[in-house]
Amino acid sequence: MLILGCGNPDRADDAAGLLVAARLRELGIDAHARSGDMLALIDEWNSEQAVILVDAVVSGSARGAITTWDARRGALPADCFSCSTHALGVAEAVELARALGRLPRKLIVYGIEATNFEPGGSLSPEVATAVERLAQDLAATARLLNSA
Amino acid sequence: MSDTTHKSRTIKVDCLARVEGEGALFVKLKGDKVTEVKLKIFEPPRLFEAFLRGRHFSEAPDITARICGICPIAYQMSAVHAIERALGVVIDPAVRLLRRLFYCAEWIESHALHVFLLHAPDFLGYPDAIQMARDHRELVETGLRLKKIGNRVVSLMGGREIHPVSACVGGFYKVPAEPELRELTEDLKWALDASLKTARVVAGFDFPDFEQDYEFVSLCPTDEYPLNEGRLVSNNGLDIDVAEYEDHFIEQHMKHSNALHSMLRGRGSYLVGPLARYNLNFARFPEVAQQISRDCGLTVPCRNPFKSIVVRSVEMVFACAEAMRIIEAYARPESPRVPVAVHAGVGSAATEAPRGTLYHRYSIDDRGLIRFAKIVPPTSQNQKRIEEDLWHFVSQVASRPTDEVTWKCEQAVRNYDPCISCATHFLRLQIERE
Repeated sequence: MLILGCGNPDRADDAAGLLVAARLRELGIDAHARSGDMLALIDEWNSEQAVILVDAVVSGSARGAITTWDARRGALPADCFSCSTHALGVAEAVELARALGRLPRKLIVYGIEATNFEPGGSLSPEVATAVERLAQDLAATARLLNSA
Repeated sequence: MSDTTHKSRTIKVDCLARVEGEGALFVKLKGDKVTEVKLKIFEPPRLFEAFLRGRHFSEAPDITARICGICPIAYQMSAVHAIERALGVVIDPAVRLLRRLFYCAEWIESHALHVFLLHAPDFLGYPDAIQMARDHRELVETGLRLKKIGNRVVSLMGGREIHPVSACVGGFYKVPAEPELRELTEDLKWALDASLKTARVVAGFDFPDFEQDYEFVSLCPTDEYPLNEGRLVSNNGLDIDVAEYEDHFIEQHMKHSNALHSMLRGRGSYLVGPLARYNLNFARFPEVAQQISRDCGLTVPCRNPFKSIVVRSVEMVFACAEAMRIIEAYARPESPRVPVAVHAGVGSAATEAPRGTLYHRYSIDDRGLIRFAKIVPPTSQNQKRIEEDLWHFVSQVASRPTDEVTWKCEQAVRNYDPCISCATHFLRLQIERE
């Protein structure tokens, strides 16, 4: 299983995905951080893999809420992921992969509801709690899969 | 729209898609006559020039790189060249070539993004690259691979793809070994071939019959296609050292935009970017780029802004060929940078960002602290010209249905590959808003 945490480390809650990846590594689970141009995600996986993506989202839910999408079942809501004005985001990368027939075998996307994208800002407490909760859940899942 | 001869129509695009940053478009028509055009840039001001004041000159390349995620190298290069001019620094010739290579990589990734993912959908009739990818998979895959190759070169040279960290006043913090660069050659060979094919493909698109009498402005070096240096030249007789930039160019705040409008003093709008570089420097292209231009039917001058997609593709050909030439001749310099003696000084420089000329000026005190910084990005220089294009272009297509006019207007804006986030970094604090 490939776990990718996405985001911007310098924009407060936008770092949520990166922090989940970092926490997973502390817990002994292989996970990777990805910043900047999300188009590169398409080259991260192959069609045989199971992939988990984690990113900050703005969907209107409560701050820190975790939303899950099965990207194989339908399109990601582009508006929720449009956090960058300079590069394509996670949703665009996933949908481009779908259009090109390059989605992985399984693709689960976790969105952590974020509200603060201030450059240099601090992580919201609710987002920090969600990061820890999601990291623990994913670590448990990974351990289960690894022992199976 | 035939039934609107006497009616007023307003065409609004509240959030321009497929451009970097946040902007809107407002066009007012009375019948088929254009009465108002505003390219509204509402991306918030980012105040980078103020951030730079009081910081040590060595921080400028890394601070200014943060202005843009697409063209950070342009900001780094304009910053280091301006500060080197202020401090009288002469760089190693091998470092000079490495900086050209670094810049070529940015052109490849930025042009690939714009040509394939942002602009091509306009010509092929798709709302975005995702829809286009379903029918034109090979085209999109080519674009993604070209962009990836540009990113790879940036990573090697700059330590990372986005906001690279290797450039410094006097050279680089670290330069690659010869074998590291040579490993890029196969990718670049593929990229050159792909760029040639791309130029031929996009040259076959349908282009609106639209030409304007532009004043093209670009750097013009003595004997090479412009990237890092050269005199600033126009087709209407401008020929100046970059140090004279502010004697000839002025900036004006418009109520409807958070980005300043640049103008040539006493002359008005002008155009920077691929079309200007191409028209003023065609003879400085290597033969491979000249030949593909001819094969694509490009003329000199080319005054149709919609054909900028072809010129960008030709510039990708140039960038790949130039990168291969530099790598082939590369010998690692003894030191990645020369020592820099600190003293008070003022220096300015311009380099050619993918979107056009990027001007920086710094005043530095005897402790090496920046007392003043001025940055004029290409999108703010093109802003007035974009609006003028729209005035004329909308007049040509005004009789068409509003949806079609709107689509065409957006396409006309995207001809310039505007980077709105760059253009708003510098507004002064006296902001006047509607």
